[in-house]
Amino acid sequence: MSALTFTLKKTVQTAVNCKNLTPDFLQSKTIADINAIKLATNLTVADVFEITGENTNILQFNQVNQHLHYIGYKMRSGTVIVQGDAGDFIGAEMQGGVLICKGNAGSRAGDAMRRGLLLIEGNVGDYCASNMKAGTLGLLGASGAHLGYGMKRGTLLVVNTPKPQATWLNCGTLNLPFLKILYKSFASLDTQFATLNQTRVNRWVGDVSGLGKAEILELQTD
Amino acid sequence: MILNGVTIDDTFAEAFNMRGTRIIITAQNLKWAYHAANAMTGFATSVIGCGVEAGIERELTANETPDDRPGVSILMFAMGSKVLMQQLENRMGQCILTCPTAAAFSGITSEDMISLGKHLRYFGDGNQVSKLLPDANGHNKRYWRIPVMDGEFLTEETTGMVRAIGGGNFLVLGQSQAQVLAACEAAIEAMKKIPNVIMPFPGGVVRSGSKVGSKYPKLFASTNDAFCPTLKGVVKSELDMDIESVMEIVIDGLTFQDIALSMKVGIEAACSLGKNSGIKRISAGNYGGKLGPHLFKLHSILNGDLDGITGNEPAGAKA
Repeated sequence: MSALTFTLKKTVQTAVNCKNLTPDFLQSKTIADINAIKLATNLTVADVFEITGENTNILQFNQVNQHLHYIGYKMRSGTVIVQGDAGDFIGAEMQGGVLICKGNAGSRAGDAMRRGLLLIEGNVGDYCASNMKAGTLGLLGASGAHLGYGMKRGTLLVVNTPKPQATWLNCGTLNLPFLKILYKSFASLDTQFATLNQTRVNRWVGDVSGLGKAEILELQTD
Repeated sequence: MILNGVTIDDTFAEAFNMRGTRIIITAQNLKWAYHAANAMTGFATSVIGCGVEAGIERELTANETPDDRPGVSILMFAMGSKVLMQQLENRMGQCILTCPTAAAFSGITSEDMISLGKHLRYFGDGNQVSKLLPDANGHNKRYWRIPVMDGEFLTEETTGMVRAIGGGNFLVLGQSQAQVLAACEAAIEAMKKIPNVIMPFPGGVVRSGSKVGSKYPKLFASTNDAFCPTLKGVVKSELDMDIESVMEIVIDGLTFQDIALSMKVGIEAACSLGKNSGIKRISAGNYGGKLGPHLFKLHSILNGDLDGITGNEPAGAKA
């Protein structure tokens, strides 16, 4: 079965709420049921997307833009792939599964995420990983302000040097063999993250204004 | 039965049900993986005094391990699940956690999962980090990253516990101590190539086979006098006058077939040295078939029956 694919019909200029477009929520729904789901006042899925495919365990969003918010919200399982940019709150309160964004994402990416894997190949806005409780968020691009604000637990894997707040503590550079296992979990995914192999990182721990058990791992050259 | 001039007794080894697990130990290089594994499998020759029987199953290349580092796989067996869990935790804490660069992973899956690093994580004093990651088959596994002075100790949370068999064995009887030891060494080299088994005694060989009971009431086992060459004229001996030394190879394994196969290749390797090497007989240790549910009949195994169809007879089978 091919992935259930949502292709944007026209350029959307108003906020679209994609909270209900997750593998868990769409499981056992018919295409007609899915087309009838409301995304905003006076906007249904059928108004915004053309649907193809049938496998609700793998969702793909094609030709999407920054107006699509809450992609992967509270998702518990399955895979969601965003071909393009995403709006705010991508992966917010994620409970599991894999969410890959091949473009840029807005603010609050991975907000209050609890479990799962969120991989963003582009840039993100402000408050990335804010209040994150656990899980892994990978970022190949640049981040906005207040990275990891209020982050409690979990791992933020970044390629570019982060600009965390004073409530993040630099623990220095070291080798972490565990990253080999993390990278193996990327290997079968259609993402640039599958090419990562560095195990040398600069480790930051925070956000010590709160629980302070989270980490930012900035990849270094081996 | 005669194999290469060596007499194979028409007898059987008697083995018992055990609980077993496999752990994969990795490290920066094989040298340190062996340091960890040797410590973990040290003092683990017999459940009688050590709680568990453990040994190194084989070396693993970096391509075969979860963290792409070289390592070894360890098999560990106990008479019950409680002892196995306790011993595993103790040995993980004292031998793997302490060993520089070492990491530990589950080497077997089962419906019964037991703690590997689940409780050890508290050594991190609140700074331990958990990661739930999918393996190659998409099954989520939980890992613990525990801060230690050399960096980070990585361990999987649990490993599988399976039903296993312990106590497969055979005896090598020969003209001299040196000749018997040489034959046992040849057997062990061949048996090390068989997966799913370990030979837990020093170098894989044991010289102090035991019988049930003792003249001393507090002892429940004592020397196997029927096979002691110095007592040939004193007790009801199993040895001819030209036998000067007997050594035993004990095998624990995950299945009957694994043990039977290792016994077959081991006996064949010992006998391959030929009659002129001083090896006279191959025998096996048993309790008359009354105690252990698994009977490994030497003739059946050497004839290629590794499934125990004829060898695994009910208790009370004739020795």
